[in-house]
Amino acid sequence: MKHILSFAALTFALVALTGCGARKPTLHLYTWSDYIDPELVSTFEKANSCRIKIDTFDSNETMYAKVLAGSSRYDIIFPSSYQVRLMAQRDMIQPLDKSKLPNVAAHFSQTYRSVILNPEMTYNVPYAITFTGIAYRKDKVGKTEVSWATFDDPTFKGRSSLLNDFRETIGAGLKFLGYSLNTTNAIELQKACDVVIRWKKNIAKFDNEQYKTGIASGEFVMGQGYSGDVAQVMLEDPANIGFAFPKEGFSAACDEMVIPKSAQEVALAHAFINFMYDPVNAAKNIQYICAIMPNTDAIAKLPEKYRNNPAIIPPIDILTKAEVLRDLGAANALYSKIWDTIKATE
Amino acid sequence: MKRNPFPLIVLFVVLAFLYLPIVVLTANSFNLSRFGGTWEGFTFKWYQQLILDHEVWVAFVNSLMIAAGATACSCVLGTTAALALHRWSSRLQNFHYGLIYTPLVIPEILMGISLLLSFTAIGMNCGLHTILLAHTTFCISYVTMTVLSRLQDFDDSLIEAARDLGANAWISFLKVQLPLLLPGIISGGLLAFTLSIDDFVITFFVAGPGSSTLPLKVYSMIKHSPKLPVINCLSTVMLLLTFVLVLASRALQNIKRQKEIQQA
Repeated sequence: MKHILSFAALTFALVALTGCGARKPTLHLYTWSDYIDPELVSTFEKANSCRIKIDTFDSNETMYAKVLAGSSRYDIIFPSSYQVRLMAQRDMIQPLDKSKLPNVAAHFSQTYRSVILNPEMTYNVPYAITFTGIAYRKDKVGKTEVSWATFDDPTFKGRSSLLNDFRETIGAGLKFLGYSLNTTNAIELQKACDVVIRWKKNIAKFDNEQYKTGIASGEFVMGQGYSGDVAQVMLEDPANIGFAFPKEGFSAACDEMVIPKSAQEVALAHAFINFMYDPVNAAKNIQYICAIMPNTDAIAKLPEKYRNNPAIIPPIDILTKAEVLRDLGAANALYSKIWDTIKATE
Repeated sequence: MKRNPFPLIVLFVVLAFLYLPIVVLTANSFNLSRFGGTWEGFTFKWYQQLILDHEVWVAFVNSLMIAAGATACSCVLGTTAALALHRWSSRLQNFHYGLIYTPLVIPEILMGISLLLSFTAIGMNCGLHTILLAHTTFCISYVTMTVLSRLQDFDDSLIEAARDLGANAWISFLKVQLPLLLPGIISGGLLAFTLSIDDFVITFFVAGPGSSTLPLKVYSMIKHSPKLPVINCLSTVMLLLTFVLVLASRALQNIKRQKEIQQA
């Protein structure tokens, strides 16, 4: 009995400990896992005598569902561009006070305007841009012009992979045929469906995770992949692994920083966004997350190894071929139906 | 007569299925490569990162506090519920049993969303306290069920004997019934603890800012983290802790048994 009592006392003490001592203002971030350099977090905490608490989500949809339910008070959320529009329509986020974000005005790179869905930045500030291209083994694929057509090449039969992501994978088929990634035209989609089914017979599998292992070990020679992920594999083995942008075009996605309506620390949230756009901080963070923030002066400060990595900083002339994935609303059903057909075809 | 080799084969297959993944995971926690496809060398790098990873430890402490709190609350509430169900029967007895069974059979996702909606409806902000409430809610059922099964073998004449010998209701409960029920309460509590510490679905819905638990953290790390092997390290550490705990409890039991033998 005594043990039970002391056990209970301990529990309460622990709860009490975490409860108090929090007199400082606390900034709550809701973001992807390991998506911010922890050193920057502690620098900001010290400079503003506040605390930062980070919670993580694994997809835009789960984040959206939680914030919409309304009992969570986050100060900054990091959704993808297409989700920002939806959140603005639903009145979930607030317009930003530009006067409190001088660093954004001073350092934002207009070069990347074309790959940002909401460049007017009423509600959002771009945090990181990623691309979907092809990761390949330099030692096993002769460096030719890179095209989505490579997935048809019988020399690589069973040694390549496509993403298991219905927008990206059907999107690759659409781009190969010269259509838009965001098309809702049923005939174009049907043609893309046939292309992806043809590829399916040549590739090893649809996969979002293991392909990195496959490429790293040399089991696969190429695979459609997200630039941020591939950049990390490349940093481990820069001699043998490359990242290329298909000549027909490819997709771009951007994660942004937004302040929800229910935020408690609005001023501090603005200060944080401004802090992240300081070139020194931004350069540090780009190296941590392996994805580019559209910040001209930060990009100039990056070490050679990062600046020359196409998976982190894509060549500027290639940006015209990038197309941003948009939210298609009801037309999403069209894509998932085609995806089902692709998955079901042997 | 030659022995049938089939049971032996089954044994090895089952053992391999159970333990091979754990072996692979432990090995990968020492692998230099982040992607685990190839062995690139031995390293303690991921363990260092684990020690330095503030967020993982915060989540771990959150998980432990919630599991301990939910276990304590559900042990008290669950035991009293079992006692009431055992001692008195009312016209609503079946309904009461139904209330206890419901959290066992209801889909987690339904429970999570309905809890979240009710917290929102009464204007309660989500956080550690809402997770604690939610976990206690489903843990109570498990404790009640185990204590009830213990009560079914319970000899009520023991209490009558205690009362005959002059103990009042409280003393007879404390000195006779509770010690006899304790194994049931403890096993129910352990069940509650394990369920609480690895619950994902319900926790996901009722968690608020700053209250991420370990399962929530691990799940988001699996999808988007350059430090994936840190999870392998964490799992290895937790496995070691579990083994140590099991071994320690075995050792304690042995010591106790030997003392009893010496006394007798």
